[in-house]
Amino acid sequence: MRRLACFALCVGLLAGLRSPLVEASPTPVAELPARYLITGVELHVGNGSVLAKATLVVEGDRILEVGGPELAARYGDALAIDLSGKILTPGFIASDARIGLEEIGAESSTVDRSLGLDRPIRASYDPASAINASSSLIRVQAIEGVTSAAVAPTGGVLSGTVSFIDLVHGDHQGMVVARGVAIDGSMGQSYAGSHAATLDLLRRSLADARWYRANRRNHDRGQSRTLAAPPKDLEALFPVLDGKAPLTLDLHGAGEILAALELAAEFKVRLVIVGGTEAWRVAEAIAKAKVPVIVMPTENLPGDMDRLGARMDNAALLHRAGVEVVISELGEPHNLRNIKQQAGVAVANGLDPEAALSAITLNAAQAYGMDKDYGSLEKGKVANFVVWDHDPFELDSWAEQVFIRGRRVPMVSRQTLLRDRYMQRLELGK
Amino acid sequence: MRCVPPPRRRVVIWPAVLGLGALVASAACRPSGASQPPPDHDAPDTLVDQDEIAQAQLVRGLVPENDAPAIFFDDARILTAAGVTYERGDLLIARGKILAIGAELEAPADATRIDARGKTLTPGIIDTHSHMGVYASPGFRAHSDGNEMSGPVTAYARAADGYWPQDPQIDRARAGGITTIQVLPGSANLIGGRSVVVKLQPEARSVEDARFPGAPEGLKMACGENPKRVYGEKGGPVTRMGNVAGYRKAFQQAIEYREKMARAQQTEGEEESKGGGPSRDFALETLAKVLDGELLVHNHCYRADEMLLMLDLAEEFGFSIRSFHHAAEAYKIADRLAAANTAASVWADWWGFKAEAYDGIRENAAMLSAAGARAIIHSDSAVGIQRLNQEAAKAASSGRRAGLEISENEALRWITANAAWALGIDDLTGTLEVGKMADVVVWDRDLFSVYAKADQVYIDGRLVYDRQDAEQQPRTDFDLGHRDGDLSAPVAPPSESLPAATPSSSSAATAPKGDAQ
Repeated sequence: MRRLACFALCVGLLAGLRSPLVEASPTPVAELPARYLITGVELHVGNGSVLAKATLVVEGDRILEVGGPELAARYGDALAIDLSGKILTPGFIASDARIGLEEIGAESSTVDRSLGLDRPIRASYDPASAINASSSLIRVQAIEGVTSAAVAPTGGVLSGTVSFIDLVHGDHQGMVVARGVAIDGSMGQSYAGSHAATLDLLRRSLADARWYRANRRNHDRGQSRTLAAPPKDLEALFPVLDGKAPLTLDLHGAGEILAALELAAEFKVRLVIVGGTEAWRVAEAIAKAKVPVIVMPTENLPGDMDRLGARMDNAALLHRAGVEVVISELGEPHNLRNIKQQAGVAVANGLDPEAALSAITLNAAQAYGMDKDYGSLEKGKVANFVVWDHDPFELDSWAEQVFIRGRRVPMVSRQTLLRDRYMQRLELGK
Repeated sequence: MRCVPPPRRRVVIWPAVLGLGALVASAACRPSGASQPPPDHDAPDTLVDQDEIAQAQLVRGLVPENDAPAIFFDDARILTAAGVTYERGDLLIARGKILAIGAELEAPADATRIDARGKTLTPGIIDTHSHMGVYASPGFRAHSDGNEMSGPVTAYARAADGYWPQDPQIDRARAGGITTIQVLPGSANLIGGRSVVVKLQPEARSVEDARFPGAPEGLKMACGENPKRVYGEKGGPVTRMGNVAGYRKAFQQAIEYREKMARAQQTEGEEESKGGGPSRDFALETLAKVLDGELLVHNHCYRADEMLLMLDLAEEFGFSIRSFHHAAEAYKIADRLAAANTAASVWADWWGFKAEAYDGIRENAAMLSAAGARAIIHSDSAVGIQRLNQEAAKAASSGRRAGLEISENEALRWITANAAWALGIDDLTGTLEVGKMADVVVWDRDLFSVYAKADQVYIDGRLVYDRQDAEQQPRTDFDLGHRDGDLSAPVAPPSESLPAATPSSSSAATAPKGDAQ
């Protein structure tokens, strides 16, 4: 068996830790063989379980196997990277994110997150082709442990379709893993002008989608009722009606959450609540409906009348009631990397640490129907994982090396290059 | 100049000395258990000598006394933000002031003793950049009182006049250890008006109830994109050229106004006999006070080149800029900021939301410190303000990761002493030193941990927040009725398996080593 001492491999493996003062292209990283082992780590699977002295076997872009030291013997001819004492977690998944659709928020020429048409139901808007693999935001998040994202458009009541991406900077061909994994929208007053009108519009859209599918020929012959949205937007809702893709709805007030649960039950639609500021007030109903909630734990301000009940232990209360909790950094896409701080804040407010890890990994993958391939360190899944020195949620804990699809992410971003340039110019840190 | 630690001994503080004489209770040398501070470019020498006692007595004269009870914090880890860390120290406060700090002090008989083992004590946290009260929650249109967007120069506007003390955000900030904030007008205008410094006093019914006694007001100025964007189609400025022309025009008018008023004063009798001197102009009076150094300039400015432009402009017109705010590119000119003695209030990691914020990096504050400049972590957010300790932690840790030596004391100064300096109140608060205001936070663990919470917060020696006692968690009027549900809601039990829950693991494994080195 070829075994690398940590010293040798750490030079390359941990290159991002103290990146050299280079201004050129990202630090070249030596290629790993197609098959390799990571051994000796404390492996947090993402599903709540933790394996001590674990071995992770990677082949190509997938996890071939996860187990104990015995795997090292079984794969004796493969490169084994001993990372004893380190922690391994799945890569974090950013839910309901706008990454790739927005470089500079205030510059509309760099923002592709919204369909520019003035109509409330835009379910067919698919921004996947606009997701910018060259965005500087990709590497900034990736080197701090975020390896995938569910990219959602914004605007209107139904904004469009969600794509699931891996944060592979520069991979214009293959960064988008799946399109149409969900239809995203917002309740509240949003576009329709009142909470009730929004709800009514959503109900009519789903009903009309159902009608349109059954009566398309009539519609094409001009024998149609007035539809809530153009046919292509209703067609985009077919996967939602079939339960193949969830409806991810931004909603906050307890009453509105109950109304959305009712609507979802009526049409047998899979619902995912985004934001869910007052979800804790109706946690039992949410748990009974088996609806996941994507929360941002730091949201505790009564920002509007739907959020009077905002509190930082929302995640803990939901988890205790049996709700599948997802944690995300909602809003600005530039700091999705702070997802781990959000998880830490949730833990500080009562959430179990492993549940918090699931909330930024496996639960996120499940909410978007991507858990067959993502979210945990289990056999057959995509090899997205992160090496940590200690508790990843802590504020002095930085990803030592990030792997996406089994490959090392060069631990360099536009930000580290700016830092290094000015550290050098100002002769700091010598 | 190393000070040999004296043998551990108990320093008796007689009940009688709780008044004037308590100063001498300070240990005569750096106490045992206190680690040697690293050479800190602006940390005051904390060795207690006669000069310092005299100085502290001077400060005592400035700090108003009140009827706050004597409280003795026993056996805490104390970070003074003045260069001293007591691994095991005691703190005595009474009458609104810090009366003694040291290792192995003896509690006076009439003091309430608080067992602070395992806790971390720091000065109250100070935020140089808040809009609480002028952009209150809920975000109603009616609550938008921070930007007087009636023209690009509104130097006459005062944040104090827009401040709503019932903003429910204030309670949440206090629970995060914040004791003092600067409330600023927004950044729509080139010159937005005067700021006001307030303490987060519970039950304040007016801004004056909360106003920081003796704090100078500030002048809010804004560079770059915001004024351009707001006024671009409303008569200008349209460009950065227009921005600078606007500042120059305003300050030139202020110089002329000041001269006119001075002449009028000289010839007062004469003018009076003629019937009336020049009329008072509140905008120009504000700017004249800036020229006189009575008001401190707080300049929203992101880009390095623009900050240097503003330093030149200030020099030309004879005023100084106390602090740049948001300063995303401050790290690029850290040396120049140090030379100008201008602080930079920055975020730990916000960036990219507009072009002038595109080059923001995590190491900004750390690089400023390393270059000898005065770094401050500010919030500009009613969410972020609740965890300024965490923001400082991220900024410090990223600096260390890049190879910069950032002590625990320095990181703490970013949200205490340096902020106090920027607000002109560093002789009153911002450090735990004898004679200063008793603004104190008791943290349940290392405050730089993501799991840290403020157990207790004291302002002017009075308990204003207690995490364990619902009676001591003040609520503004707005919350009444709206958030009563909280009281009956199931409260999530604290997690029992926190990685940093045990004192040994938190201090040994995860605490930054800064001051110990």
